[in-house]
Amino acid sequence: MQFSSALLENAVNEFSRLPGIGKKTALRLVLHLLKQDPKEVERFSEVIAKMRQEIKFCQRCHNVSDGDICSVCANSMRRQELICVVESIRDVIAIESTQQFSGTYHVLGGVISPLDGIGPDQLTIAALLQRIEKEKTEELIFALSPTIQGDTTIYYIQKKLTGKQVRITTIARGIAFGGELEYADELTLGRSLQNRMPVEKYMNH
Amino acid sequence: MLRLDSISLYQFKNYPESAFAFPERVMCICGRNGAGKTNLLDAIHYLCFTRSYFTRMDANNVMQGRSGFRVQGQLRLTGKDETAVCLLRETGKKEMMVNGDAYDKFSRHIGRYTCVVIAPDDARVITGGSEERRAFLDALLAQLDAAYLQQLIIYNKVLQQRNSLLRQFAEQGRRDLSLLDVLDAQLADAGDLIAEKRRVFLLDFLPEVLRLYNLIAEQEEPLMLVYESQLQHGSMAELLAHARNKDLQAQRSTMGIHRDELDFKMGHLPFRSIASQGQRKSLLFALKLSELEVLRREKGFAPLLLLDDVFEKLDEERIGNLLKKVCVENDGQIFITDTNEERLKLQMKKIGVPYGMIRVE
Repeated sequence: MQFSSALLENAVNEFSRLPGIGKKTALRLVLHLLKQDPKEVERFSEVIAKMRQEIKFCQRCHNVSDGDICSVCANSMRRQELICVVESIRDVIAIESTQQFSGTYHVLGGVISPLDGIGPDQLTIAALLQRIEKEKTEELIFALSPTIQGDTTIYYIQKKLTGKQVRITTIARGIAFGGELEYADELTLGRSLQNRMPVEKYMNH
Repeated sequence: MLRLDSISLYQFKNYPESAFAFPERVMCICGRNGAGKTNLLDAIHYLCFTRSYFTRMDANNVMQGRSGFRVQGQLRLTGKDETAVCLLRETGKKEMMVNGDAYDKFSRHIGRYTCVVIAPDDARVITGGSEERRAFLDALLAQLDAAYLQQLIIYNKVLQQRNSLLRQFAEQGRRDLSLLDVLDAQLADAGDLIAEKRRVFLLDFLPEVLRLYNLIAEQEEPLMLVYESQLQHGSMAELLAHARNKDLQAQRSTMGIHRDELDFKMGHLPFRSIASQGQRKSLLFALKLSELEVLRREKGFAPLLLLDDVFEKLDEERIGNLLKKVCVENDGQIFITDTNEERLKLQMKKIGVPYGMIRVE
């Protein structure tokens, strides 16, 4: 791409470093900003800079937060003795959108994968264990992706909690709602059969 | 019944844009060396296994100077028409579709269109290292048993993680043994299941190979085929516990089903070191034709059979016997490549089976 202005080129280069943004999309975004009132663009960049500078991570659950403690943790209506363990902030947003969960979260920051250089120390596992110890947590719900690394992480944390008075559960895995049985893979179908549930319970949902 | 009625190729190897019809059950593909006979077979292999028989790199199958390829086949599976497409996008992303539905996991496609290949390089199954024989066994079992393939994928992924962790222990001088415990437990479940499935399958399969070998060789030979696994001496969990110190030292996993071996012996000596060219070829055919038979029996229809240049170094009589076996006694579809059109025509005439001829330039 040829630019008549180095300023323009720099801006395009910065935008194209964002995930999912190629050179052409970056140029489109920059040209759009160029058409805007300078005040408008200033406000835009301020919002972003402020977001990055002032955002905090909840000291308790490592979710994004405006203060030291996030709004979920600070909400007294939520069941504090219930912790849902997730990989990332995106998962918190996804579960919150279901409006089905009234406990608190713990964001691990990933799953254990030695191949990618991620061990327990790179995650917030130690903080989670301390938190369970301190808060007398009743139940830990794992909501990790159903992958081998997800399982590794679950088993690892479970092992670290042997002998502790905390119920450990994981979200149900099985046939997706609206999915067709014949297209389910054997592992999923087998697991669903093993962990079948009473229709009574199923119908209430 | 499984039939491939036609195939079209776009930017696949030396085919810029070509289509071939396969109107007969027996299809002969003739042409000089380098004309693209094997490439055509490999395209068929793509539709069955979503990958090449010859190379691990999909990019190697793209026509030189182009990017991306597409292979589309028109098939009939137990009376239903199906369109299968395997394509490599310009970005290097591969997709596999049947009747317009893309697979989210390629492993789910394996076993839908069963297929057996016999190619010159296959001699390595006999003469090569144990990984070649495991690969043969895995390809066969994966087509029969989707659960086997899934466990194998899990096993290999956990094994990689475990080896990576063992290396990190050595590099960092710190050991989190409880994480190793977790990986061991994950490996144990998959390992035990795979070993059991291999054992049960080979119990019937190996005697069948032996019977067929003697039939092809036309005499009784003191050939022995033995499945050897460390898991015969204990469960995967026991082996891992036993080998832990050794593994920590070696920084890799020294025990498990990834060390399984199919041992071929002639008397007391290794088959590969004393067998003649002819004997090796007989054993290879016995293995592959037993594979064909077991797939046909278990699936209820014969797999596609791809014979790549198998007549080289075989005498007239053996060619005749082999063709009779695969074309007359087997009711599945067969694709045969040969550089010598006249020879192939003559042989086909002898066995009296209708066949189609494709000439590639």
